[in-house]
Amino acid sequence: MLRLLHTADWQIGRQYGQFDADEAALLAEARITAVERLAALATEQRVDLVLVAGDVFDAQGIADKTVLRLFNAMRGYAGPWAMIPGNHDAALSESVWTRAQRLNAVPDNVHLCLRPEPLQFDGLNAVVLPAPLTQRHTYNDLTDWFAAAETPAAAFRIGIAHGAVQGLLAEGIDSANPIAADRAVQARLDYLALGDWHGCRQVDARCWYSGTPETDRFRNNDSGRALIVDIDAPGAVPRVTPVDTGHYRWRSETATLQVASDVDALCALLGALAADDVLQLDIDGRTDLDGLKRIGDAITQARGRARAVLAELDRVRIEPTADDLERLAAEGYLGEVIADLRAAQDGADGDTARDALVLLAGLLDTRRAGVAR
Amino acid sequence: MKISRLRVDQFRRFRQPFELRDFDPGLNLFAGPNEAGKSTLVAALRAAFFERHRSGTVEHLRPWGDASAAPEVELDFELDGTPCRLSKRFLGKKRCTLQFGTRTLDGTEAEDFIAEQLGFAFAAKGSSKAEHWGIPGLLWMEQGSAQDIRAAVTHATDHLRTALNASLGEIAGGDGDDVTNEVERLRNELLTPSSDRPRGAYAEALQAEQSLREALAKVDDDLLAFRQKVDRLAQLRREHDADAAQRPWEDLRARAAAAATALREAQSLQERLLVEKRSAHSLAERADLLRQQLDRWAAEASDAQSRAEAVTTAQRALDDALALAAPWQQRERDAQTQHDAARRTLALARARDNRRALVRDLDELRHKGETLAATLAQAEAEQARQLALQAEVAALEIRAGDLNALRDQARQLRELDIRRTAIATRLRFALEAGRELRIGDAVLSGDGERLLLDATTLTLPGYGRLRIEPGGGDLAALAREAAELQDRHASALARLGLASLDAAEARQQQHAHKLSDLKAAQATLKALAPQGVDALRAEGAALAGRAAELRQRLTAQAEEGDDALPPVAEAEAAEDTARRALAEATRRLADARNGCTAAQAALDAAQRELIAARARLDDPARAQQLADTRIALTDALAQQEAAALRIDELARQLDAARPQALAQDVERYTRSAEQIERSFAQRRDALTVLEVELQAAGAQGLDERRAALARDHAAAERRAGQLARRAGALDLLLRKLRDKRHALTQRLQAPLQAHLNHYLGLLFPGARITLDDSLSPGPLTRDSAGGSESGEVDALSFGAREQMGVIARLAYADLLKEAGKPTLLILDDALVHSDDARLERMKRVLFDAAQRHQVLLFTCHPDKWRDMGVPVRTLEAAL
Repeated sequence: MLRLLHTADWQIGRQYGQFDADEAALLAEARITAVERLAALATEQRVDLVLVAGDVFDAQGIADKTVLRLFNAMRGYAGPWAMIPGNHDAALSESVWTRAQRLNAVPDNVHLCLRPEPLQFDGLNAVVLPAPLTQRHTYNDLTDWFAAAETPAAAFRIGIAHGAVQGLLAEGIDSANPIAADRAVQARLDYLALGDWHGCRQVDARCWYSGTPETDRFRNNDSGRALIVDIDAPGAVPRVTPVDTGHYRWRSETATLQVASDVDALCALLGALAADDVLQLDIDGRTDLDGLKRIGDAITQARGRARAVLAELDRVRIEPTADDLERLAAEGYLGEVIADLRAAQDGADGDTARDALVLLAGLLDTRRAGVAR
Repeated sequence: MKISRLRVDQFRRFRQPFELRDFDPGLNLFAGPNEAGKSTLVAALRAAFFERHRSGTVEHLRPWGDASAAPEVELDFELDGTPCRLSKRFLGKKRCTLQFGTRTLDGTEAEDFIAEQLGFAFAAKGSSKAEHWGIPGLLWMEQGSAQDIRAAVTHATDHLRTALNASLGEIAGGDGDDVTNEVERLRNELLTPSSDRPRGAYAEALQAEQSLREALAKVDDDLLAFRQKVDRLAQLRREHDADAAQRPWEDLRARAAAAATALREAQSLQERLLVEKRSAHSLAERADLLRQQLDRWAAEASDAQSRAEAVTTAQRALDDALALAAPWQQRERDAQTQHDAARRTLALARARDNRRALVRDLDELRHKGETLAATLAQAEAEQARQLALQAEVAALEIRAGDLNALRDQARQLRELDIRRTAIATRLRFALEAGRELRIGDAVLSGDGERLLLDATTLTLPGYGRLRIEPGGGDLAALAREAAELQDRHASALARLGLASLDAAEARQQQHAHKLSDLKAAQATLKALAPQGVDALRAEGAALAGRAAELRQRLTAQAEEGDDALPPVAEAEAAEDTARRALAEATRRLADARNGCTAAQAALDAAQRELIAARARLDDPARAQQLADTRIALTDALAQQEAAALRIDELARQLDAARPQALAQDVERYTRSAEQIERSFAQRRDALTVLEVELQAAGAQGLDERRAALARDHAAAERRAGQLARRAGALDLLLRKLRDKRHALTQRLQAPLQAHLNHYLGLLFPGARITLDDSLSPGPLTRDSAGGSESGEVDALSFGAREQMGVIARLAYADLLKEAGKPTLLILDDALVHSDDARLERMKRVLFDAAQRHQVLLFTCHPDKWRDMGVPVRTLEAAL
């Protein structure tokens, strides 16, 4: 019986440019805490070996501090870890790995597989066959040698690789770092742990992508997982159990405003956001000044509640109603200007006219509020 | 608004109450000369409206010099059909009352009511100023200010707008201008007002975006360089590992060693060749030496022969020399004889000449002795005479003191005599012929005179005697003195042996003559014997001695045959010739003898050499040596030939071995090996350097930094985009607001424009004027023959500007009237700068305006306004 924890694509050092600095910092921090949770999970589940299938680091040029923090985060699990470099952190002649070794950051229980050599775990009766990337991109199947690798007759044969399984994923057909679809069977592996695809995905009975343990993009791809793999005996079919490890929930929503209830629905969506939500909101359509104001307020509220909300109202066309105008009390030529801008929204420079209209409405609103007080 | 009555009391010029009644609802003309009170009335009107009745700064309203006066104004007028009365009293018992129809308003309330109705404001403090006057400030033209329309309009603008909105509707209402200003402010925070360039936060955002973009590009460059270095590191490592495994320098080292061995062999061939060449050379030298030895021996044989010949030659030379010496011996002896003879002759000739000279000297001496003797005799005679003269001189000499004493005494005697004579009794007598008288012995006769120095007895013959005694004792004393002096004189003369002073003087003369003679005698002697007579005598003795000596010498030499001898010079020449001949002969003889000696020595040497040469030839070892030498020479030549063959062989072998090429091979292989090893070491160093560099660069966390920068850049880009949108929107909004506002202003200006053009047509037919946003007259355009010309009102002449000012105000009055606002026009001495033609047109304009408004016109030129159809009221009469 061998119990493995399969994870990959930690992408340590990743930054999130689309967010504000404070939000981005928290999301980057979340990647390290995800590793802490993995270590805790491995301890709790009493796994025999943790496999990390590449892209541990998001890039080669990661600050020393970050490298040290990562290996520190792994101390929660004292058992063996086996990790390979991926395309983001390939084992080049000078790489983040050589630096980590120089920094003495790598604990003894962490095995860096920087060369395609079998790694024997005698106590576990297991041999790990790694396929590390030693270049940024390769067009050879680095797992080719697995089949010919000799291992003790009654030992578990565990493969670990990083790349695109051929024929499985749309973009994997002629992508770099190819992996043969039937490698696990062809190389007589008990289990082949794969990395590169950020969603959790099964390839066949003995081959899985674990996905990244902490979601890092809006595309909904079933990420934020790790796999517990139980193999009863060499040759037995493994039992694979996905475990949720992600902290933040990344969502991407679109809303087209047509009628007043659309505004209500959107406000409800925003109102339902929780602290761990990371939301991308695409809004278009049209609304009146009141609707615009409500949505603006709702977004402001949501930003205070959720981790991050990416939302722009730029594409919403403004249709002031008679009520709006009456409330603004746009007398004299101001009324004429509002009418002009409203009409110009459909013109060549509609966006500017729309912005101008929103601005004017805001100014008048503020004035009215001041007068009312 | 129409005024019907004005009353003032204690007001500036009007110390007493003054009232004007029955104002015309249209034009009212008030005339009066300067100081007549026109300005006071205008001031009263202004004070009634503009000044608070409580104001403490209206002292100027009091009559001059009346500090207790309480200026008072009362006005009757109707306002919008309602009759009103406004009463105001300033400074003392301040009061303000407004009767408005049936309402009565008091104090400040009354003032504020009227201000709102007419459209002006009060000063918060102090006197009312132009900025408070509002619409009345525009319509009430003060003296000399009608042309200044712009300031008046500015002060009235707010009131005008308020007033006009009623008639134009609320189009300009709301807070459009405030919003416009706010939008403009917001827009100008992001864009420069004139050039639309980004500024403030917008410019900062763009700047931040740009610097982040640049920083990102820089990090990208660094990253690219870093990756290239990583690739290079891999490449270098591969090369290094390949070299470390193959060690290519070792093969090269082996090839270099093989080449070195071959080279050493070739070098030993070279050395052998050198040795052979050296031995061949020494063999050749030996053969040469042997040949030279043989030559020397051959030479020795011929040498003995030539020595014998040399002895013969030397013998012959000796004989010749001896033959030459013999005749010179004889010649030398002859010359000696001749020389001796010449010497003797010369000696004789010289002796003869000596003798002759002695004789001559002796004669001369004798002659000299005779002369000296004569001189000596003369000198002795002279000496004797001198001695005699000396004796005489001595005898005749009187000492100078003695002579002087004598002379003195004689003089004193004479003086005494004179004195006695002077005091003596003078006795004159005149005796008759034949009669006589005697004094003592003396007999006197005839006439005469006699001095009687002492008692004298005159004997008168025949008559007795007369004794006359001169009076006075002095005469007796003088006589005594004279007698004493006479005695001394006589004794002195006696001592000198002289009879008298004259005798003394004569002797003195004599002495002088003798003395002169003595001196002449002494000079003569000196000439004869300068050294003295004794010296002459000595000289004579010396001469005598010398003569004796010469005579002795003359006698000592015998004299013989002197005349036969030649002169000395001739004898000397002969001796000289003989001596030279002798010297020559002696020299030639010596030469000949030297020649003989040399020839003898040469002969001796030749004979010795001959003997030596013969001895060498006769040496018994010589023949054996000669034979040995010949054999040695033959041996040497044979060895030389063998060596030449060996040299040829060695040279051929060496040529085949090519030692130079071998040396180059050694160098080439060695250097290549070194080069490859050096490259290996350099690559190893480069690897180290690169590793260190990459480690250092890696520690910077470039990718992480890039990601952070990219994040910041995205944020900056978003912000810049947002600000760009905001700036664009604000710009658009501002433009829209301004356009709309301008359009509205145009609508507001239109009626004013119409009124203005109405009057303008009367003043400048064909002219047009535009209004600006502040409702002030803008540029004036006039059509003329040369086309239309345009210019600012400010550029017109003063008169034209004043006219423009008046018609603009009239236009405003029309506008206000239409809006139902009260109007009243006051012109204080206006239009004084207008020419007659223009004034004529302005009268038309004013008359027209007076149809709609009450107009109060004050002037000091009533004659100019008689054609206005209304009476001219003179204030003079009123006062």
